[in-house]
Amino acid sequence: MTETAPDLLPIEETAVAASPGPADGYQVRLEIFEGPLDLLLFLIRKKKIDIHDIPIAAITRDYLDYLDRKEQINLDREAEFLFIAALLIYIKSQMLLPRETDLAEHEDPRRVLVDRLLVYQKIKAASSVLREKEEDQLLRWKRNFLPPLPGEAELDFVEVSLFDLAESFVLMMKRKEAEGGRVIKARDVSLEEKMKEIVGLLRERQMLDFLAYFEGQGSLEEGLVAFFCVLELVKSRQAIAVQDELFKTIRVWLRKDTRRAGHHE
Amino acid sequence: MSNPLTSLLEALIFVSQEPLTLERMKAILEEVSGDDIQAALDELVRNYASEDKGMVIAHTGGGYLFTTKPDHDRWVRRALQIERKNKLSAAALETLAAVAYHQPVTQAEISLIRGVDSTSSLKTLLDKKLLKIVGRKKAPGNPLVYRTSERFLQYFGLNSLEELPSEQEIAKILEEEKVAEG
Repeated sequence: MTETAPDLLPIEETAVAASPGPADGYQVRLEIFEGPLDLLLFLIRKKKIDIHDIPIAAITRDYLDYLDRKEQINLDREAEFLFIAALLIYIKSQMLLPRETDLAEHEDPRRVLVDRLLVYQKIKAASSVLREKEEDQLLRWKRNFLPPLPGEAELDFVEVSLFDLAESFVLMMKRKEAEGGRVIKARDVSLEEKMKEIVGLLRERQMLDFLAYFEGQGSLEEGLVAFFCVLELVKSRQAIAVQDELFKTIRVWLRKDTRRAGHHE
Repeated sequence: MSNPLTSLLEALIFVSQEPLTLERMKAILEEVSGDDIQAALDELVRNYASEDKGMVIAHTGGGYLFTTKPDHDRWVRRALQIERKNKLSAAALETLAAVAYHQPVTQAEISLIRGVDSTSSLKTLLDKKLLKIVGRKKAPGNPLVYRTSERFLQYFGLNSLEELPSEQEIAKILEEEKVAEG
């Protein structure tokens, strides 16, 4: 299982490694807290505090110190750090409220925070296990890392969801748009115009070889319209159509009265 | 290898780029009994576990797959001209762990667990196909519901979600961390 493709790599291992850094002295890489719960857990551990009995006032103070220094927190996440700061202060205020009776455990205002910390702590431990597994797996090369064999492209089934398909479709449409190609619109063929054309021809030539006429049409659509015209003419008893044999041409001519009517026009 | 079935399975696993499952082997070798296949497979895996092989047959992602031995990584990378492989970022890994343990789950739920907005991590993981969207939740806003994918299992060398560290194992890790710090 490899996520990496050869073209994504190699990325130079940068100054992060043990190699001596540039002239501006050495850099100390501080641990960066990705999120507020990360920082809180760190503080709780550092002070060897029982997670189920957090001294909120002290922890809040430490937490806000870190926030002020802004050195070790991911600043993109500042709002989320502040959100938990507000929660801490809220809990602190709740703890200060005088009560007539002692709080039962489930009424402890710290409860909501502790529950979240416990869940987060587990996830963090699980991700350290996953990291070990990942590091081990990355050392084990698999054949699916290698470029696919030729001709295999269409057989390379991957697990995709409806959303993948939708995304591909949107991308495809965007690419299409970017190409800026013009859409060539087929000429609309109106039945009425075609009818006039055919009647005109019939008058002119007496008889129409429909197959020859059909083949002379610009598009299939136009041919079909022409055929409809013939059907219409037959139905309205203006024309007669005869086909001697299946798949042979259809001969069409106008009825005498129609022709005469035409002459009167 | 005297068993012709062992040799045949070796060929089938070799040509397979995804883990070859036992079900698939049975389907391909429909004339052969499942027990015989299992026995031959066990023998094959044992053969490859010996020290003089450069590859092993790994049981991962619910199937069997050839992989090189970890000791050879340096030279494999040199051969493929790859300096190193990218690892997942800390945020992505944490998000993945949260999905793995809480699936099926929505973005909002993951963000609450982590205490940070996880939209972009989820996107990254979807792109890498380590997560998949399995639908929408019947809740306000109909949020998307995420699950880990088959590729997730393979990526970490797991065969099923049951192989993720259990509650007890995690509790043990946390206990050890405490001791290490104390």
